[in-house]
Amino acid sequence: MSERSTFSPFWHRVRAMKPRLRPHVQITRQHYRGKRWHVVHDPSSNHFYRLNAVAHEFVGLLDGSRTVEDVWRLSLTRHADDALTQNEVLQLLSQLYGSNLLSADVTPETEQLLRRGRERTAQKAKQQAIGLMYFRVRLFNPDAILAWLEPIVRPLISPVGFLAWCVLVLGAFAYAIVPNWDRLLSGVDSAIAPSNWGWMFVVFVVLKLIHEAGHGLICKRFGGQVPEFGVMLLVLVPAPFVDASSSWAFPSKWRRMAVGAGGMIFELTVAALAALLWASTAEGQLLHQLAYNAIFSASVSTILFNANPLMKFDGYYILSDLLEVPNLMQRSQAMLKFLVQRHAFRMKSAVPPTGSLSEAGVLVLYGLGAMIYRVFLFISITLYVMGKMFAIGLFLALWTAGMWFVLPVGGFIHWLATNPGIADRRPRVIAASLGMAALVVLALGVIPAPDRRRADGVVESLADTGVFFGADGFVEAAHARPGDRVRKGDPLVTLTSDKLRAQLAMSEGVLAEAESKALESTVSQPAAAKAAMEYCEAIRAQIAWIQSKIEALTVRAPHDGVVVGQDPHALLGKFVQEGTPLCEVVDDTSVRLTAVFTQTEAAWLREGPIKVEARLVSRVHDVIPATTDRIIAAGTRDLPHESLSFKGGGQLPNSPEDRSGRQTTDAVFKGYFLAEGVASGEARGAAVPGERVALRFTLDRKPLAAQWYLRLRQTLQGRAKV
Amino acid sequence: MSHTVTQYAVLYDSLRSRRARPVIHKGLDLIASRVRTGLVHARTRASYLLDQAQKTDQLAREYRHMSEGALDDAIARAHELFARARQDAERVRHALAATREVARRITGEEAYVVQLMGALGLYHGRIIEMLTGEGKTLTGSIAAPLIAWRHKRLHVFTVNDYLASRDAESRRPVYRRCLLDVGAITQELPHHERAAVYARGIVYGTPKQIVADYLRDQIKLGAANTPWTARHLVSQVGSGGEGLNPIVPGLRAALVDEADAVLIDEGVVPLIIARSRREDDMAKVYREAAALAGKLDEEADFTIDHVARKVDLTRRGQDRATVLFDDLLAHGGEPIWAATRRGEELLRQALVAKHCYLHGQQYQVVDGKIMIVDEYTGRFLADRQWEHGLHQAVEAKEGLEVTADRETLARLSFQRFFRTYPFLCGMTGTAADATGEMEAVYSRPVTVVPTNKPIARAQYPLRVFRAVRDKWSAIAASIEEIHAQGRPILVGTRSIAASELLSRLLDLRGLSHQTLNANFDKEEADLISKAGMGGPDAAITVATNMAGRGTDIKPDARALAAGGLHVILTEMHGAKRIDRQFIGRAGRQGDPGSAQIFVSLEDELVQRHAPLLARTLRVRVREAELRNTALAARLFRLAQRRSEARDRRNRSAVLRQDDWIDKHLPGG
Repeated sequence: MSERSTFSPFWHRVRAMKPRLRPHVQITRQHYRGKRWHVVHDPSSNHFYRLNAVAHEFVGLLDGSRTVEDVWRLSLTRHADDALTQNEVLQLLSQLYGSNLLSADVTPETEQLLRRGRERTAQKAKQQAIGLMYFRVRLFNPDAILAWLEPIVRPLISPVGFLAWCVLVLGAFAYAIVPNWDRLLSGVDSAIAPSNWGWMFVVFVVLKLIHEAGHGLICKRFGGQVPEFGVMLLVLVPAPFVDASSSWAFPSKWRRMAVGAGGMIFELTVAALAALLWASTAEGQLLHQLAYNAIFSASVSTILFNANPLMKFDGYYILSDLLEVPNLMQRSQAMLKFLVQRHAFRMKSAVPPTGSLSEAGVLVLYGLGAMIYRVFLFISITLYVMGKMFAIGLFLALWTAGMWFVLPVGGFIHWLATNPGIADRRPRVIAASLGMAALVVLALGVIPAPDRRRADGVVESLADTGVFFGADGFVEAAHARPGDRVRKGDPLVTLTSDKLRAQLAMSEGVLAEAESKALESTVSQPAAAKAAMEYCEAIRAQIAWIQSKIEALTVRAPHDGVVVGQDPHALLGKFVQEGTPLCEVVDDTSVRLTAVFTQTEAAWLREGPIKVEARLVSRVHDVIPATTDRIIAAGTRDLPHESLSFKGGGQLPNSPEDRSGRQTTDAVFKGYFLAEGVASGEARGAAVPGERVALRFTLDRKPLAAQWYLRLRQTLQGRAKV
Repeated sequence: MSHTVTQYAVLYDSLRSRRARPVIHKGLDLIASRVRTGLVHARTRASYLLDQAQKTDQLAREYRHMSEGALDDAIARAHELFARARQDAERVRHALAATREVARRITGEEAYVVQLMGALGLYHGRIIEMLTGEGKTLTGSIAAPLIAWRHKRLHVFTVNDYLASRDAESRRPVYRRCLLDVGAITQELPHHERAAVYARGIVYGTPKQIVADYLRDQIKLGAANTPWTARHLVSQVGSGGEGLNPIVPGLRAALVDEADAVLIDEGVVPLIIARSRREDDMAKVYREAAALAGKLDEEADFTIDHVARKVDLTRRGQDRATVLFDDLLAHGGEPIWAATRRGEELLRQALVAKHCYLHGQQYQVVDGKIMIVDEYTGRFLADRQWEHGLHQAVEAKEGLEVTADRETLARLSFQRFFRTYPFLCGMTGTAADATGEMEAVYSRPVTVVPTNKPIARAQYPLRVFRAVRDKWSAIAASIEEIHAQGRPILVGTRSIAASELLSRLLDLRGLSHQTLNANFDKEEADLISKAGMGGPDAAITVATNMAGRGTDIKPDARALAAGGLHVILTEMHGAKRIDRQFIGRAGRQGDPGSAQIFVSLEDELVQRHAPLLARTLRVRVREAELRNTALAARLFRLAQRRSEARDRRNRSAVLRQDDWIDKHLPGG
């Protein structure tokens, strides 16, 4: 409070004026951190203004008969140092007047009003432009609809209703979610599969409409108005919104919080019902999938956006009311600015946005958190959108970077160079700013941070042998089913072949005859005996061959492993020919992980990860260490398994002429990795070859800036080729 | 009846001006508006103006042989066409040729082609740069009738009252012949006679007088801003209710002489109409504050920012102040000291009065009263007071009777006022340096009008001294030397104190001289007329930098034979423009002449705007006068640039503040 100058050179502009609050303006009292505040609210225009006790008294004294000068002098004698200064009075009056909360005893000037209106429109347009990531389109006034709906749900919006809601949500959680947790998690894959996108979008929109209805209905319930409904393009994803800001005038902070939480309460109600439905329907039904979609989008949007107080969504307003710190975002920024000005720049004229120590603490913590979150959000959203829609992502990124970073930094440099307030300490201020910039550069550009990458892969067996029928015959018996564990030599299928038996019998007959002939000729015709003996040998060989064929009628496992492929039982009684494939026997005690990489990822792959970890889809909680076997740096369009392609639920697009489900549009690299833990056999529900696996690679620690740069470059390169 | 109608028209016009709200552009809008200004005025750029001036000159023969009656007819025709906005390029040329001929017949002066070019520039709403001695008065007076015909009323702004009444008188016959009445608003003119003068077609006056009258009208009009709300005024107009009629009819067109000084340098000076506050007598409080200010120590208790004229109390100072306040309260001090913040504010103000406002620089004491000295012109600002108790604090410091605090009734900055004119043009000796601001603030393009004859002024090399003392003795020596050649000398100083110091030095050397500063305001014109005297007792004139601006020193024959006027600048000014303006006094109209600048590394300019570099240079240089001045010249230019930039920013801050107030507060 060092430099509050009592006088203003522009005092004469208001001195003799006799303003008063407009008659329809409502004032409600609110308490923040034990202090009384007064919220001036114009219901017709939805303008708000918050006054502290002294300012409220000042405004209260303006009754249209006293002049501003009279009231100011009165206030000065009453409050001495706490009284508003002339500058503060000017500020107060201009803001009240600008929000149309104040009527003055002068004719409003049309030009002035028009100009103000124009500037307000321009200001709004500018805000839209700056927040292109949150583009808003206003649609209609939903008040009438909500007024019609509100009496219907009114009984629910009460303490009893809240209790019932808690029971519902907890019940659904305990009954449907907890027991099916694993199933729930494994459903994520199919939920985000492209085939589900259409349904997911429908469910999302319906859910968000219910969410907004929640805000609106609770706001109406407590006497507010909801004058606006529209659609916000949140990072290009359309999401509806309502304007429930009239709730800001509610005197009770719990009611304000209820309006803020209303959306999530309604949404979670739906999610809870959906969870119950999901748990009681069977896999494969549309209803089951829709219910899953509802659970998924409700929980994801709640965690990522609504409940997150670091962005200006529901959670922010709830937190702001809970902590009783109004204008949390703006004031936390002011607080950080003040700290920098006071301590880094040693500017005595800097004024903190709050006098309370605890509030200052909250503001600092929140300000830092929000700032860091904002940067990371920006970067990850940008990279994500660029990965999906390159041109739009690039535009969005450049635009937002300009609005969020370049403009403020430019403004700050201009301030450094020209602000007369720091004229006497400019070198110090510049040095401090450079120091802080250096810290940021150091943190982002020099200090190494862990660098992790991900890739999809499948489990492949090293010993993976196809089993073929060794002889023609009818399938008489099947001894194994797919998934059965067999040892080497275990029979898999037994064939019968009458033909072979007949051949054997015939050959044995022929042999007996030939042997007797040979014996005879040894005695009678020694010259012919040799030929007869040779004939016998030939017949014996033929018998041995037939016997081996008969042996082959029993198809045996070539080595230890698991039966994979078609079910031998399906062939029972059928005739099979020699050489027809039966199934595979896969040795799951020695498996390897085969991962595919797009070409853009080849760069870091060549660098060589220092640590590789794998997670099996079936065992998401276990992190299994792995080692690199070899990387095949030749591009191929054949995937090791169809589960890696779009059709199979993977990430890579299928080639249009693909029939096998294993062909992609762009060539990929393959990498083989060995993981002991994966092959732990029967002990812990072994990995089935063909199972999808997520690989995580830890690269050398690199500064964050370098990591971002590399990723950006990879994205750009990948795109440039298309 | 017609009287009432006239009064109603005056009221209507006045309200229309009041409602004019010039828009301030920022950021991209500013760039766009400057581009627009450039495009709008692209047609009337210098080459076009020169071409038109030459074509006008070709009409001279035709007009010279015209009979008086035919000339009158031509003028009447032009008047009528202009008033109905039926003028085109050809008619403008003929009208200008006519006014030129009128001026020639009456005063014997015939405008040169470059003067015609200047007049056309003015007519097209430009700021024209014409060097001193190039006949700005004539240029203005042949352009004024055209503008007055076209825009009905023209206000011509001059630098001082003397020039206003002199020019109005000397040009009256010309304007009469052009069917226009002329009048001058001067300090002496009584208020009740002013309305009649303002009703004339061309009105001369100083910005101060006209802005003050305009402001008084604003106060009178109160909250009325449309004829509708002013209907009660209108009804009283009919009944002849004096005191409600605006004196200044609406602002239509303005021609500003010395445009850069008025529009830029003084642009942010607000004109304030105030009255003494009746209620509270604070005299004792101010005296107590002045006494307290003496008890605090610089550095330990407070720090001074001389540039911003601001004092900050240190923590120790705040503690001591609290103790002192309590002490005062215990010993019968005013109760106001119980409010610490207000008390500290008063104390800081007393400290500012003590350390930043110096006798002889910012003010003089005349007849027991504080007279503010204009830091630009070195003139007294009569009737001007500092605001918000600063004036009282200075009075208390000087031990004078503390006058009552005054409260502002209305205020208006010159730039806001001039932007209200729908038509604005101006002339000056140095406008080119201010092009950016003229375009940004006033949307007026600048045209440089070439001189009639080439400039023959010699620029002597810059002399740089380590210490200010050495500089003054070198200046005195230099004056003596040139004086011995029989040449008249004009010496420019930045403050009255400096001119008095130099005056003493010259007295010591036995050189008779004249001092031209705020103390001799009235004899100024006489002094200037003698300042061009050459010969053995050639004139030596010491003047503050801005004094005598707008008058023209004409060296006599002997002086010209000896080498013309020599101008010495004893210090560089905060803006290069002002240096140029002052140096421009020498070598007018192709006369011989010379100029030299003396600076020292202890000068205020470098001390304020490049203190570190100045100190470095002072440490490195051993000799009293620097032999190599290149580095110092750059240092001074840098300081000047910084000072210019700072002033520019201050001005734009004032502008934005005005704009904010306009935009956000109800009423006018």
